Amino acid sequence: MTAQRSLAVQRGVLGALLLIGLWEGVARGFALPAYVLPAMSDVLVGVWAKRTMLAEAAAYTLAEALLGYALGALIGIGLAVALSLIPAVRGFVVTAVTAVNSVPVVAYSPLILLWFGIGVASKVVMVALAVSFTLFLSTLAGLDRVDRRSVDLMRSFGAGRLALLWRLRLPTALPLILAGLRVSTVRSIIVAIVTEMLGAYGGLGWVIYQAVLQIDFVQVWAAIVVASAASLLFFGLVGFAERRLLFWRAT
Amino acid sequence: MSAALAAAAPPAGRRGHPLVRRIGGRVLALLAVALAWEGLVLLFGIRPFYLPRLSSVLGAILATPGAYAAGFLRTLAETLIGFVAGGAFGVAIAVAFLRLRALRELVFPLFVVSQTIPVIAFGALVVLWFGNTLLAKAVIAFYLTFFPVTVNALIGLESVDPRQIALMRSFGAAPRQILLQLQLPSALPQIFVALRLAASLSLVGAIVGEWFGDTTGLGVLLLQAMYNENVVAIWAALLVSALLGTGFYAAVAALERRLVFWGAEQ
Repeated sequence: MTAQRSLAVQRGVLGALLLIGLWEGVARGFALPAYVLPAMSDVLVGVWAKRTMLAEAAAYTLAEALLGYALGALIGIGLAVALSLIPAVRGFVVTAVTAVNSVPVVAYSPLILLWFGIGVASKVVMVALAVSFTLFLSTLAGLDRVDRRSVDLMRSFGAGRLALLWRLRLPTALPLILAGLRVSTVRSIIVAIVTEMLGAYGGLGWVIYQAVLQIDFVQVWAAIVVASAASLLFFGLVGFAERRLLFWRAT
Repeated sequence: MSAALAAAAPPAGRRGHPLVRRIGGRVLALLAVALAWEGLVLLFGIRPFYLPRLSSVLGAILATPGAYAAGFLRTLAETLIGFVAGGAFGVAIAVAFLRLRALRELVFPLFVVSQTIPVIAFGALVVLWFGNTLLAKAVIAFYLTFFPVTVNALIGLESVDPRQIALMRSFGAAPRQILLQLQLPSALPQIFVALRLAASLSLVGAIVGEWFGDTTGLGVLLLQAMYNENVVAIWAALLVSALLGTGFYAAVAALERRLVFWGAEQ
């Protein structure tokens, strides 16, 4: 098993190296202009040359994404839990959320930018909107997943609604909630960048937009590399926390 | 169209066709949301800058129906091309991954990393590569679509009972026959889970792609409305996007009910 696994890791690394080699070879071999495809080495040199500027932009974007992520997670999970306690309004709220959610979240960004201005607030709101939808739906699905018989058993011992929620529904929902949290990491950074590109004072999306305007495609690629690295880091951290919290589950 | 269908059907009592009853329920819920929208704005005197009345939004659409219809069709075309290409590519790659384990281990991690690249950054480059054409937007929709389809198709293909494969093989079935008659049909429910997700993702790709400069499309309408600070027009474009999103999703779900008639899901 472990031998097979290490072979898979080796092949994964080999695949990445092949891609980098192919990229470098094609860009250099055909002497492609930078606006078509800059060589990988040029992009990395670009990242290094602009490292302070890119690091500042990444920190700006990450701050927006993290703030919106935390806010959205609280709202999404909170709303789903509240609904499970008040089943009477559930039908209406779920219909309303589905209706709002039928428009892709990014399509709301022009509206949010008008409402909240082009500062940090509009990005935080957009990220919170995207994250809260995902977490609302996955938490609701998780809370519904409980076994009817377990509910009946706890009821027969006199457990109230809150006890049911705390001891049964939430632990059952945890894997789905955490999966939602993991998926939302990458999405929160993407949404922050998308909104920044439509109007911002700083951040990776703003850097990309400026670079496109100045036709500086090495810088576009450099910002993309930094954005991907930030997404992977965020994703990895939440995945690590998930494995820690779900210790009873084998992966 | 579905609204007309439900209205034309006889008043569905308890014995109405379940589909008609479900669509009827949806229409009622939609009417309730519409009434709540109009009523709440009037009741609380919400400023049009935040939320215009539904009637004024509908009025804006009816004032220039041509622009919204053209935008709808253009974005629909981009979404559809990206969706079909992404779905077909996703399934084909999943089959290739199933057959060739080495290829899968070589390429799959790269696919995962590719999904962390913000589309919009990528969008600037795609528009540069493919020109400011319908194709460029379809490529962005494709880029967002293929990955979930690949992952789910692979899960579906791998969850086929090996004893069934062994049985077919013992009757002399060729790998092609096993794939077409056993593995793909078994994976179909799982593939449709991804296709429903891909339906909304491909719309995102099309709308975001249009932001890189175009003259028609729902994304263009959204952006123009933002630059003019015209909130009513933004809501109008959002409403038309919602119509497109829901309609497309419903079409994929209907196709699923048709093809996966044995119904593993729902």
